[in-house]
Amino acid sequence: MPGKKKVAEKQRQRPLETPRIADEVARLPAVVPPVAYPIETLVPEARQQTPAVGQRAQRVDGRMHGLGQTQYIDDLAFPGMLHARIKRAGIASARIVRIDTSAAEAMPGVMAVLTGRDIPVNSFGPSLQDQPVLAAERVCHAGDGVAAVAAVTEQIAQDALDRVKVEYEPLPAVLDPLAAMREDAPKVHPAGNIYATKVIRKGDLERGFAESDRVFEGRYRTQMVEHAALEPHAAIAAWDPNGRVTVWCTIGRITLARADLARTLKIPMNRIRMIGTIVGGNFGGKNEITQEPVLALLSKKTGRPVKGVYTRGEEFTATTTRHPFIMDYRTGVTKDGRILARKVRLVLDGGAYCSWSETTLGKAAILAAGPYQIANVLVEAHVVYTNKTMTGAMRGFGAPQVCFAYESQMDEIAQALGLDPLEIRLRNAFVEGSLSPTGQVLHSVVVRESLLQAAQRFGWKGARS
Amino acid sequence: MKRRGRGIACMWYPIGFTVSANPSAATVKINEDGTATVLTGTVETGQGSLTVLGQIAAEALGVAADDVHVVSADTDATPMDSGAIASRTTYVTGNAVRLAAEQARAILFEIAAPVLGVRPDQLDARDRKIEVRGYPQRSMAIGEVAYRAQVVMGQPAIGAASWNPPTVALDPETGQGKPFSTYVYATQIAEVDVDDETGEVEVLRIVAAHDCGTPINPMLVEGQVEGGISMGVGFALHEQILFDDAGRQVNPNLTNYIVPTSLDMPEIEVDIVPNFDPSGPFGAKGVGEPTSVPTAAAILNAICDAVGVRITTLPATPDKVLAAIQEKRGQAVPRLPAA
Repeated sequence: MPGKKKVAEKQRQRPLETPRIADEVARLPAVVPPVAYPIETLVPEARQQTPAVGQRAQRVDGRMHGLGQTQYIDDLAFPGMLHARIKRAGIASARIVRIDTSAAEAMPGVMAVLTGRDIPVNSFGPSLQDQPVLAAERVCHAGDGVAAVAAVTEQIAQDALDRVKVEYEPLPAVLDPLAAMREDAPKVHPAGNIYATKVIRKGDLERGFAESDRVFEGRYRTQMVEHAALEPHAAIAAWDPNGRVTVWCTIGRITLARADLARTLKIPMNRIRMIGTIVGGNFGGKNEITQEPVLALLSKKTGRPVKGVYTRGEEFTATTTRHPFIMDYRTGVTKDGRILARKVRLVLDGGAYCSWSETTLGKAAILAAGPYQIANVLVEAHVVYTNKTMTGAMRGFGAPQVCFAYESQMDEIAQALGLDPLEIRLRNAFVEGSLSPTGQVLHSVVVRESLLQAAQRFGWKGARS
Repeated sequence: MKRRGRGIACMWYPIGFTVSANPSAATVKINEDGTATVLTGTVETGQGSLTVLGQIAAEALGVAADDVHVVSADTDATPMDSGAIASRTTYVTGNAVRLAAEQARAILFEIAAPVLGVRPDQLDARDRKIEVRGYPQRSMAIGEVAYRAQVVMGQPAIGAASWNPPTVALDPETGQGKPFSTYVYATQIAEVDVDDETGEVEVLRIVAAHDCGTPINPMLVEGQVEGGISMGVGFALHEQILFDDAGRQVNPNLTNYIVPTSLDMPEIEVDIVPNFDPSGPFGAKGVGEPTSVPTAAAILNAICDAVGVRITTLPATPDKVLAAIQEKRGQAVPRLPAA
């Protein structure tokens, strides 16, 4: 009986007829093009061809993107869904004396407020679990979340944040990574500011420098950078009566995210379902949980689905960024431009929490000497805490930074020796079977081929020197 | 006056995690009509991974990209995956998908062999057919075999497999070891104009020659290179998060934190360096992250070539470039009049 079903459906939804429905409707995409299916377009031939590998096959998600019909998290809405916002500390280093949420809780439309004390296991991180989901005792950088609100509209949730009163006792902050390495520097975390060190040692460095005709030294620095993906971090959590929680999220690795969520919520993994939606850009910035435990607990508290979408400001201040590097390079070469020895010291500004810093440190150290055959190498790399936005994975894991340094110095050496920049690279580049700085035998090596191919395509005729 | 310069930079970059296990698993189900469904736990983050994984499964099954549907990213339904990170999806998840597809294919071979009067190891999957290697006239349509497998013989063609890149832990003292299974290599050459009166840098052209092993989908490789270069241009010239003395960000918005737009993009020419890595799926490695690695270095070398100053601190903003030019020429840096 379809008629009866319709009535039942309506009754079921009636309690939800509040301003938030209008709010949700207003939040749906403004323009959904009227489309009759199937859309008659030319069948992209590459997708029909065999063999499949090597075909310029159109993306499977291309048509949805083109028609504006891809559903990102913010395009999803569920009946009764609440909106969450997180209050940010706004102070770089402090002890939290007390948090008063009573005024926020009393606001009409506010359904739940959460602080760090409500989180079963309030720490996470891919290698060191040094990051709180919501800071409960100590604020380590200005973007730390200190409380979260779920309300019937995003605006009410935002307004409620102002009524959460947090009392801070300011603590000394350290912002410069070199200063943070000193013994007397304020400690961001009790264990000390240098939280990981990697060393790569190959050959006899002193002998390499002694045999060199010229030695070049330089310091190179890079800045902190944001991924700036078009889609911000977003998620929806829905806790069901069986105690299972479903999370739609923008995270690029849901297997790890489920493990982190199970740990922070202290529930078994089989009670968590993570669904990765089509993501509007990741670039390394969406590789771990952020607000997901908060949304899950707010959903558990309210019995309703809860959505959280970071603002652009939070994208900058409350999520990971690219590590600023301070890089000291010392390189010994023969007169004809062969590198005999290279010593590299890297200091990474690790921000307030580890996140993917250990991976970044490791990759940067391994890659630091460049794609060159060098018999004698020493790389010493440290990552240090500062009271700044945490740094983590970003497209290249430290490689763009060290590439800037080693390739700048290659040109300096070429210029000083009167060599063409292409020529000095060809003389030193790895070949098939070369040994990497970690002693690995390299295979499928095409540095020289890529240099020659790019030079030919560009019409390279040498640089001014 | 605008001065032109060009700069070169090359790089190497590893595929997958540093030493630690980063497996991917996949399931491939061949339907009764010879089309197939792939289950993977990876997430499409805009790079086109689902398309590439579909092509890898299609290649192993001898069908076309359109014959394969890829289901992804649901921990209730899809197998584990270490994720869309470390430029690993094509290489690691791709290998898992290839292995799973080969397992499903082995069932088809087993079913087809007695019908075609040969041993299973004499069969190939090609052009939507299961055919006898070296005697392609003798073949069956893949749909016919798949139907027979499931509906007649009661042996549905399903495969599940996982793959993890082989590594050797690094010695903590010396860092010696085999941290990665494989690496990719690339060169980018940038051509820039530098205005020596304002310090402004315009990137005119970037030629990028990238190794990715066998390109599974050359169009998507080109897309990755173009996207990577746009991030490299921002890293080189514009983007920088600034802090005040209290440790708060000064420019946490896209008005004052400048990312490159289409107007800032140079002409890009992408060359794929021919290569084949036997450890990757059909010779493929990866291309995601490396595309933005050498860009800044090439641009900064080009700036030096153009105006003879070496900027050693990124980003090379106009004020920094201008100050360096004036310092080199022994000019006093003019100060703006006080407001």
